[in-house]
Amino acid sequence: MTDPVQGPELMEPPPGAWPGDEIARLYAEHSRAIFYLALRFLGDPQRAEDATHDVFLKAFRKIDQFRGESSPRTWLYRIAINHCQNLLQSWHQRHVVANSDDAIWDHAPARTDSPLRVLETKELGQRIQKTLDQLSPEYRLLLLLVADEQLSYDQIAVLVGQSTDAVRGKLHRARKTFAALFEQTA
Amino acid sequence: MKQESNFSSDEQHRHDGAQETHQQAAREFATAEELLRFDAAQTVVPPPIAERLKQSAAQLAPPPRRTWWKNLFGR
Repeated sequence: MTDPVQGPELMEPPPGAWPGDEIARLYAEHSRAIFYLALRFLGDPQRAEDATHDVFLKAFRKIDQFRGESSPRTWLYRIAINHCQNLLQSWHQRHVVANSDDAIWDHAPARTDSPLRVLETKELGQRIQKTLDQLSPEYRLLLLLVADEQLSYDQIAVLVGQSTDAVRGKLHRARKTFAALFEQTA
Repeated sequence: MKQESNFSSDEQHRHDGAQETHQQAAREFATAEELLRFDAAQTVVPPPIAERLKQSAAQLAPPPRRTWWKNLFGR
């Protein structure tokens, strides 16, 4: 699988070239975050492209329903999470997927307080994807959301429909599991 | 009988050379999210998405506008 990384920076189209200025602004500001979530959550660049297109098209269709009660990014994330989870669910119905048992890694002697050391960044994307693929979708999603510095724990809690305390607890275990699995990809 | 050493100076030189360490720049990430943040910053959104989206959006009717009083008082 090729990672769409380290290529030329996308030149964002000017807002006037789009049918709606709102969607152009949303796309310019948030497309990287939404594409990255889709890419690493789904683990497939082509499906991530399709998902990103569909998410922004849905946002465009529903833009009149956006009342500003949440930030535009949170609103887009909600659409993206629903879309990606539906995709995963439909794939899982068609394919038997061997779920990794995170409980195994929860008890692994992983050092969550020790740094993740990387010697070679060239294939880092593949290592990250391999690690994320072994996590449960819930842990994967939490880690991807907390990686976005624009999101607070409270916003993440709302997005995943859990309490902030529950999110903090699960993130602790998700980090530990990620660290243990990431070490094995070296 | 004393055995002569076959370890020549040339071989000694090669041996020393093999022990040279490669200088590799290690990068450390304190947490998983820091690593993911770095990965996200390296990720480029494929340009075809924007093109497809423009075409798809052009086929849609313009989204209905909520009037100011609907925004204030609801429906």
